[in-house]
Order: sequence, then structure tokens, then C-alpha cells
Amino acid sequence: MVINSNINNVKTKTIGEIFSKDPKIICRHVDVFYGDKQAIKDVSIDISSREIISFIGPSGCGKSTFLRCLNRMNDTIDTCKVKGTILLDKDDIYDEKIDVVPLRAKIGMVFQKPNPFPKSIYENVAYGPRIHGLSSSKEELDFIVENSLKDSGLWQEVKDRLNSPGTGLSGGQQQRLCIARAIAVSPEIILMDEPCSALDPIATAKIEELINQLGKNYSIVIVTHSMQQAARISQRTAYFHLGELIEVGETKKIFTRPKDKQTEAYISGRIG
Amino acid sequence: MNEYSLLIILLLISTLWFYFGNKTALSLKKKQLKLNSLPHYYGIYVALYSFIPALFSYLLILVFDGILFSNLIIEFVPKEILNSPDFNKIIVLAQIDNAVRGIYFGEQPDWVTIASNQMIEWNYHSLILNFFCSISLALGIGYLGFKNINEEFRSRNSVEKIIISLLGLSSIIAILTTIGIVFSVIFESLRFFAIIPASEFLFGLIWNPQFEGAERAGSGQEGLATYGSVPLFVGTFLISLIALCVSVPIGLFSAVYLSEYANKKERSIFKPLLEILAGIPTVVYGFFAALTVAPLMRNGGSLIGLDVASESALAAGFVMGIMIIPFISSLSDDVINAVPQSLRDAGYGLGSTKNEVITNVIIPAALPGIIASIILAVSRAIGETMIVVMAAGLAANLSFNPLDAVTTVTAQIVTILVGDQEFESAKTLSAFALALTLIVITLILNFYALHVVKKYREQYE
Repeated sequence: MVINSNINNVKTKTIGEIFSKDPKIICRHVDVFYGDKQAIKDVSIDISSREIISFIGPSGCGKSTFLRCLNRMNDTIDTCKVKGTILLDKDDIYDEKIDVVPLRAKIGMVFQKPNPFPKSIYENVAYGPRIHGLSSSKEELDFIVENSLKDSGLWQEVKDRLNSPGTGLSGGQQQRLCIARAIAVSPEIILMDEPCSALDPIATAKIEELINQLGKNYSIVIVTHSMQQAARISQRTAYFHLGELIEVGETKKIFTRPKDKQTEAYISGRIG
Repeated sequence: MNEYSLLIILLLISTLWFYFGNKTALSLKKKQLKLNSLPHYYGIYVALYSFIPALFSYLLILVFDGILFSNLIIEFVPKEILNSPDFNKIIVLAQIDNAVRGIYFGEQPDWVTIASNQMIEWNYHSLILNFFCSISLALGIGYLGFKNINEEFRSRNSVEKIIISLLGLSSIIAILTTIGIVFSVIFESLRFFAIIPASEFLFGLIWNPQFEGAERAGSGQEGLATYGSVPLFVGTFLISLIALCVSVPIGLFSAVYLSEYANKKERSIFKPLLEILAGIPTVVYGFFAALTVAPLMRNGGSLIGLDVASESALAAGFVMGIMIIPFISSLSDDVINAVPQSLRDAGYGLGSTKNEVITNVIIPAALPGIIASIILAVSRAIGETMIVVMAAGLAANLSFNPLDAVTTVTAQIVTILVGDQEFESAKTLSAFALALTLIVITLILNFYALHVVKKYREQYE
């Protein structure tokens, strides 16, 4: 591709290492507008295969908006416009030829508030495989459901009541059900938008453990308000402020030796 | 000086009490006393305290003096009129009442003039009494309330209590009205069932109320008039079913289009237009059905060799279906909009198309509300009269064929009660029996549908 030759030749204000040797997603000069208001300003970053990267920053800094660009969830908002380039495996996801349906199957998403469908636990997990035709028989579907629930650590708790409603589970269980639902369509990347903000500490610990497990097989992008959480689970951390990507780097470095003053101020709790 | 000026005086008095209450509370506050409530609550308290009892006495006197006077005035009617065979109390009272208002028809008999003068005098006394009672109550009880004001008095809680009892009173009025209607229907129906056995009414297959039931009961003659209500109920359900077949798909699909596909501009045009349908009077639908749709269907039917009656269940049901579309579309649109965005996000996040999100996520989540809207539409369809009277005819055929002329319960009730009727005959009373049965059936339907919705909810939420 033409862009490929100069893809790593980017002028950016961002401090730190935005490039990756094994990029899964490449974002270059991404701007996002809500009507006239610019929510994201010239963000360039790579997301590697099988890495866990967390986006941190004060409320309203655009980290969730940027996350939702990666699987084109912003399409559902009429006033939202995205400019710039986002490549998934070197294909521009905002190209007119790209169908958003398989794209979203490839990039799963877990939301801030657990949002299981008002259906049974089994139907929640089976929903994705069904609409994408991933199974040809009931046995195969059962297998996918069981494996997804096992991968999300929920199987032992719900195997005897797969037909009871998913909304009847506790908050943490619901969120793990949503993760199971997302991984049932075998995505390559999972986007998580503050997945633990509505959960208690014990449920949060379980989800974090699960994210660590999943990081071995998927690229995970997680937006979080908890810096401890970012420090615990992610290999890289990106700090956003007022729509700009201020600093990216290894999590350890960001939290111990941030190069940017704003990053340091946020991490030490002075802004946010 | 009349009743209305009295009402205004009462309002003025309570406004004054509000002012005094408020002022006293403010003056307490100025003395650095810590008031229990905000000052205006003391004002409202005194105002309500003076106004409500006065209003009650005002209404009481207004209602009961009329009843009392109409009984007393009969004394002034001459003996020969009272004893004559065509004496009618209501007409005589109306005659006097007209004279009181200064309306005369031709020559006025002397006794009417005397009676009306007497009535005017009584009315005057009653008004004086009303003025005296209401105003002294407003002032006296208002003063008692005013005396209550001190810094520890909890006027906010008292106002709350008064408001709660006013709200409760309003709901009791609504409930009592319903109970009253049901009981009046029940009592008249019992009189009907005393003449015609309930089993014949409920299971009889022929509806033919032309002949007087009393005549038949008296003469011992059998089978001249028959009151079998089955054809009417079959007709009602046939027409309602056709109406639902038209309105449920169209209403639901347009609701889905409006809430999920239409952009803001289309929505702002289509939704009001659709709701205009609900504002068209049913009589307009009626002649639309009778003059446009029914002939169209008959001609269309004859083209393909079908024999369609000129007044057919199909025409009435079709137009009725059009009429109830806005009920279904508007309510369903609301419940579909109420489905949380997070569920849509979940669907889209898994790579569903818009259509998949609608059929697999939104409609199931909104189903209880959608069913509720359909229940409402059904009760509308069952109760609808005008369209049926005009388009489906009055022939009580027992038929399941939508191309035949049928009739419905409500249409029959109208034909029975239109015009001069004597209230003793089985024919007239049968209207109440029909109404009672209809109420019971709609109630059962509603209960059953609510039960279904509840069951569904338990399953999913």
C-alpha cells in the first residue's frame, strides 16, 4: 500500500513510543468531531497483536470516543464525523468498501454498564454465533457457548441454569457474561469501555484476572478511570487530555517516570 | 348577587387568609424565631383551611335546596292537574323553572305565576343562607387555622396532608363513577334476565328483538322475539379480528420505521400525520367505510367472482383497522424508544445489522409494551360502534365469513336505544344485558393479556 511506506513517518506532538513492531491496528492523524466540536485532535497510535493497552485520562478527554472509533460504533451517532486513517491489518476500516458487520465481529466490545440482552444466559452467548452463522449444528453452538463461558470464567457458576435470564445475574457475573458474548464470535480485538466502573472490588478483581488471561489470545484496548487498574493489567498505557494523546509508553515507565508534565500531574492526582 | 359572586367572595377571603398567615409567619421569623416551615406554607395552610369547609357548605346548599324546593313547590300545583292522568312531575317543574328564568310559552296560568314567585323568594332566602353559612365558615374556620400559627406549628406537613386527601378524593370520584356504571348495568340486566332466561341469551343463536318480550311473556306465546346474543359476539370478534389483522402489522412496522430508520425530519413530519388519524371522528371513518371502501370491495369482489355483501364485515374491519393504527404505532414507538441504548450498542457491538438488532433485541425487549398497545387497540375495536353501524349493517347473521354482513354488540345497543323506548320491555333491557356481557368479556380479555405480559416479563427480566 502507498500509505505503508510512510506509515511510520509521522509528525506528532505525542511523547513516547506510538509505534509497534507487530501492529494490529494503526491509527494516523485521527480527528473526531461531534457537530462543530472537535472531540479528538490528531491522534496517531499503533495497537499491537496480543497486547493489553489502557487508555487513561480525565473525564471528557475523548478516550471513550477514540475507543468507539476503532470498531466504528460512532457510526450510530448522527452528528459524529471521523477523519484520518485507521487500519486494521492494513485495511482502512473507514473505507467505503468495508462492511461494518464483519468488522464489528472482528473487534468485540464490552461496555461500561453490563448490558446483557433480556434473554437467557445461553441465548446471550449464542446470539453472536447465530447471527454470523458460526455454527452449523446445535452441538457446535453448545460447544461455542460452553467454551466462551469457560473462557470468561462463568461456566462453573451458571452451567446448571443456562436457561435462566441473563439479567438475573449479579453485576460482575453480568459483565463476564457480556465478555463471554463478545468472545463467542472469536474476535481478534476486544475493546473495553470502563468495564469495571459499575462493579464492586471483588467482581473487579475477577474481571481483571480474566482480562489478563484473555490478553494471551486477543489484543485488548481498555479505557479505565482507575490508574491502579491500568497499572495492574496493561503492558502499555496511553494518556489522553482534552482530545489529544499526550503520552504513550510502557505502563511501568508511564507510571514511574512520565516524561510529560501533564501526565505526571494526572498520575500523581493533581488533575483529573 | 348570585352563586358565582359568592364563590369569588370565598376565594377572596381565602386569599386574604393566605396574606395574613404569610404575614404572621414572616413577623415570627423577624423575631428571630426558628420557624418549622417556610412562611408561605402557613399562608397556604390558613387559606386551604378556610376555603375547603366553606366550599363544601356552598356546594351542599346549592345541591340540596334544589331538591327540597322542587318537592315543596308541588303544593302549589292545583289539585285537578295533580290528579289528571297525564300529570308529569318533570314537565310541571320545568314549567315553573322556566317561569323563574322569565321564559314564557304563550299564556301563563295563574298557579305557575304564584309558584314561580314563591320559588324566586325561596331561592333568594337560600342564597342569603348560603352567603351567611359559607362566609361565616370561611372566616370562622379560617380564624381557627390562623390561631394555630406559631413557630412550632408544622404547617408544611399539614398542607401535605390536605393535598393528599384532595388527591385521594379525586381518585375516589373516578372509582365511584366506574362502580356506579357497572352497578346500574347489572341491575338493569337482572331485570332483563327475569324476563329472558340467561341461558337463552348467552347461548341462543338467533338475535331478533323486534317483538315485545312482555307481550310474549304475557300471552305465553313462544318464539316471536328471540334474544340469542351469539351472532352479535361472533360479529364483534370477526370485525375486531379483521381490524387487528390490518392494524397490528401496519402499526408495528410504522413504529419500527419511525423509531429506528426515520431521521429527525421525517419523524417530525410522519408522527404528527399518523396521529391525525387518531383525531378523525369515528363517524367520518364510518361514512368513508360505507361510501368508499364497501362499494370498492363489492366491485372488486365481483371482478374476481366473489359475492361480497354491500355491507360487509371486511369493509368495516378494514376501516376500523386503519382507525386504530395510531394507537399501536404511537404507543409502540414510545416503548421502542424506551429500550435502553445500551442494548442497541450491545447488538451493534457484536456486528448485528440494524434489522437484526430490531428483530432480535429491540422488539423482544419492548414486547410487553407492544402487547399493552395491542390490548388498548383491541378494546377500542370491540367498543367501536359508528363504523359498524354505517358499514357492516344491522343484520344479525351468525357467520364467520368476512364477506357477509354482520353486526356487533355495540351497534345493536345503539339501534335498541335510539328513539323513544319504554324502559320496561325486554327489548330495551336487552341493551343492558349486552353491555354487561361486553364489559365482562373485555375485562377477561384484559386480565388474560396482562397475565401473558407478566409471564413474559418474569421470563426475561
